[in-house]
Amino acid sequence: MDIDLSTTTVRTANATLRALPPGATARLTNPAGRHNLAVGLTEEITVEIDGTAGYYVGGLSKNATVLVHGTTGWGAGENLMSGLIRVDGDASQSLAASAHGGTIVVRGDASLRAGISLKGATVLVAGNVGDHCGFMAQAGTILVGGDAGRGLGDSLYEAVIYVAGRIKDLGADARVEELAESDVELVARLAKQHGFDHIDPENVTRVASARQLYHWGTP
Amino acid sequence: MCGITALQLRDPGLRPRLGALMAAMMAQVAERGPDSAGITIYPEIAVLKGVGHPAVLATEWRLHEISGTQAVAHTRMATESAITAAHCHPFVVGDGLSLVHNGSFANHATIRRELLARGVAFDSDNDSEVAARFLAYRLDSGDDLEKALRLLCERFDGFYTLAVQTPDAFAVVRDVIACKPAIIAETPGWVAMASEYRALAVLPGIEAARVYEPEPEEVYLWTST
Repeated sequence: MDIDLSTTTVRTANATLRALPPGATARLTNPAGRHNLAVGLTEEITVEIDGTAGYYVGGLSKNATVLVHGTTGWGAGENLMSGLIRVDGDASQSLAASAHGGTIVVRGDASLRAGISLKGATVLVAGNVGDHCGFMAQAGTILVGGDAGRGLGDSLYEAVIYVAGRIKDLGADARVEELAESDVELVARLAKQHGFDHIDPENVTRVASARQLYHWGTP
Repeated sequence: MCGITALQLRDPGLRPRLGALMAAMMAQVAERGPDSAGITIYPEIAVLKGVGHPAVLATEWRLHEISGTQAVAHTRMATESAITAAHCHPFVVGDGLSLVHNGSFANHATIRRELLARGVAFDSDNDSEVAARFLAYRLDSGDDLEKALRLLCERFDGFYTLAVQTPDAFAVVRDVIACKPAIIAETPGWVAMASEYRALAVLPGIEAARVYEPEPEEVYLWTST
């Protein structure tokens, strides 16, 4: 099924997608940066977007696969519950904000605050990430194939960030930790799964919380 | 919220279409600022401002008939001062400097007092006018636009994406946290900036443009040809 967004409203397009049965596929053409494409999906469908998506593409969804053949605006995959969002180009700010589950893959770069307040999803960026990646991330995994900007992992909770390139600087309460065998296995599996061949799993930097800013379980 | 669009034409063949292109861009960010709008068009430094929906204003102004070399526009959702034409951006001050602002400044009253003490006069109580007057003051003091914008980053607190044009330049700068959106696109025929990509999507040749987000506190500056 093809849905031409130059002649169909986003509301109608999303309603059409939500009515599709499991296993269905759909293609959105002429997105021209429109916001809220393919949000709130619940079934195991595949949606391909031919071009640039605006804010919150694929957000609030579960089970679905959303493939963006272009770049995205702010908040791609925000509050994702499960499924896959893959962006062939670059992603703007707040990628995967508060995403609970599923996988968000960016084949280009991601801008500021990628993985902010992450709550369990897996975020993979082949290229570089901007400042404050992983800010206040509570759970989940972020793998960066390139360099990270300033304030990496600021106020991090239990999420873990792996960076293959350089780190400009760490945020408050973030620290570099030694790689365990389980880390190498995880990075190797994710890199292989998503074609990030440029990453050497044994040469990534693990960043996690120093646990000085929060005190769960203490009286 | 507020929406910003700005365009500098490198291809002289596009100049007759400047107004039409700006009208199309403004329509795409009308939802970000539906209460009023304004635009400065160079080289004449024609300033149009009004209260109402940006698309309606563009029609009233017959914007599609206007040619030029560059323009900067703003669609406003008022937060710091009244919804009147006087509070609309762009704020045009000094020797033809136009500034539009998405965001809000926290220390604008302090800087306003400092500028008043130095003899700078204001037209409104708008926080964005303080930024425009600050830049004009720095230019009058001998700084170039790039240095003036760097000083603004040092001096002003708050959230801002700024687009600034002078008769011979176009510049963009964002605050250190970059809370307010901005996208830049460049082709051999033009350079443009907007709050959202969808405003750039209406420009000719966007498919082949270099599209990128400006980094926090980096000054991006292009000279007019």
